[in-house]
Amino acid sequence: MEKRPFEILEHPADIGFRAYGGTREELFENAALALFSLTCELGAVEERESREIETTGSDNETLLYAWLAELLAVAEAERLVFRRADVTALEPNRVHGTAYGEPFDRARHEMGTHIKAVTFHQLFVEQSAEGWRAQVFVDL
Amino acid sequence: MPIPRSALQKLDDLRWLVPRSTREGMRTDAVIYADEKLLAQILGDLSIDQAINVAFLPGIVGRSLAMPDMHQGYGFPIGGVAATRLSDGVVSPGGVGFDINCGVRLLASNLERDALLARDDYEKNVPKLRTLVNQLFRDIPSGTGAEGPIPVTFPELDDVLARGAAWAVDHGYGEASDTEYCEEHGALPSADPSQVSHRAKQRGRTQLGTLGSGNHFLEVQYVEKIFEPATANVFGLHEGQVVVLIHCGSRGLGHQVCTDFLKTMNEAMRKYNITLPDRQLACVPSQSPEGQAYLGAMAAAANFAWANRQVITHFTRRAFQRILGDAVRLRLVYDVAHNMAKTEHHRVNHDEADILVHRKGATRCFAAGSPFIPSAYRGVGQPVIIPGSMGTASYVLVGTQRAMDETFGTVCHGAGRAMSRTAAKRGRNVRDETQKLEAQGVLLRSETRDGILEEVPEAYKDIDAVIDVVHRAGLARRVARLKPMGVIKG
Repeated sequence: MEKRPFEILEHPADIGFRAYGGTREELFENAALALFSLTCELGAVEERESREIETTGSDNETLLYAWLAELLAVAEAERLVFRRADVTALEPNRVHGTAYGEPFDRARHEMGTHIKAVTFHQLFVEQSAEGWRAQVFVDL
Repeated sequence: MPIPRSALQKLDDLRWLVPRSTREGMRTDAVIYADEKLLAQILGDLSIDQAINVAFLPGIVGRSLAMPDMHQGYGFPIGGVAATRLSDGVVSPGGVGFDINCGVRLLASNLERDALLARDDYEKNVPKLRTLVNQLFRDIPSGTGAEGPIPVTFPELDDVLARGAAWAVDHGYGEASDTEYCEEHGALPSADPSQVSHRAKQRGRTQLGTLGSGNHFLEVQYVEKIFEPATANVFGLHEGQVVVLIHCGSRGLGHQVCTDFLKTMNEAMRKYNITLPDRQLACVPSQSPEGQAYLGAMAAAANFAWANRQVITHFTRRAFQRILGDAVRLRLVYDVAHNMAKTEHHRVNHDEADILVHRKGATRCFAAGSPFIPSAYRGVGQPVIIPGSMGTASYVLVGTQRAMDETFGTVCHGAGRAMSRTAAKRGRNVRDETQKLEAQGVLLRSETRDGILEEVPEAYKDIDAVIDVVHRAGLARRVARLKPMGVIKG
């Protein structure tokens, strides 16, 4: 299995990442971590608040898309920055998790490029002998 | 791998055909508008493959079209245009994009360039331009997490979603004539706020009057060159005049509407037996329950974008008056959308029909005589406003009959990216880039480092070349070129 939790990919106009995990749960957590790392310099984010995240999807790809999209939406709607998300229950078509972070503070949080949305572009989730792997591109 | 150049048939110097036979499953040809130089850039990414994928959409009418600013997007290429039959064709949220009704509006002032270069009344060693740019930067929030000047309640938001620019004008953010000078009068009446999710409303509720980030900006510009004096006169533009260009969209609300419906449609496509080469192209029949729900939500998000640009216009006028005096006027020349799907009446294969025109990074450009443009402009055609990259130039064009005949009355939307954001940042720093622009007479205020580095002019195609193609292809004519003096962005 890949030792890195994720790697960043280039796209002509936007950006993406590959995430890895020994289990499907770990894959979802690392994909969330990749997403957060694009949003903000994570070193400065403290875990002072948490939010429960629950969403559904009819296959692995749609479920990962929905999970990341929901994390992005909750952060923006509540003006939070997250640094970590734990998956607490993962069924074939449903994911439940908890995201940890704090209110966005312009003075302390160096924001990266604003992510508008998660896309289905070349999105895949696959399992091999080494573990789980996913590719995601986001719209900036 | 990108499609090879040998797959393209040259129709003339500016038109390239990808025949329907190129890939099994294409329902029509694709046509790319570009000159040799732009085509070489376009062939460097997957954008032509994306125009080919668009040709797979059920019920597509005419050809899958792409403008010279085209570059790789998600699903549709940016710069892509496709129309579908209303009876059995599809609607694709990917053909509109995440930023529903991203668009531009141009305000023309009664000031000349010199007025902004004069010394500030209080700080004698700086020009008024700097004071103005600072004021605009304070009054018009930009960047991630920015809260707007007028947060609305959820019931008020539903009103915004139903009424668009008119909501803002009725609440004191604008002048009565402003809505007349917007595409669709600044509101699609088909909006259905009940189809917009609570999550989308949560994201948008505090964002009215904010620019957002990425390539969105507000620029103080001047009219550098007039190409067609008679038409410029009708639009009220003359050389040396100070104008303002506002480029932004529906913010988080629109992004969430697209996000929600991409999921819905990906799950519903099986039901309608639709298979496509790219899931981001997800679509459903436009008359289906899911299709109608999307179109209602999309129209609501479009209205939010018009209200947003209207509120920003109000705060821009106020900032100008505060710095330059109460006699300053900023008249709305026109407001156009460049991410939208709309039912329009067009001539298709010798018949006239209502069709659903998707414009993904492409601008409506209706010809003279159209009832859908303000009566003051009907004798010459619709003003088409094309923002260039940061610090270069923007253009005002006018719509032509050729575009009505060939491209469903559509033209390009900007310069179009030529370099990835990561590549743009490599080896560049904010101080040098800002100073480079200042040396060219452009003052820049940005909320973030990435907002500057990712948008450097070198990351984009040459706007003059893009405009040259659409002008020579006869899709729109050059009326005026605008040069930036001050930029604020996220």
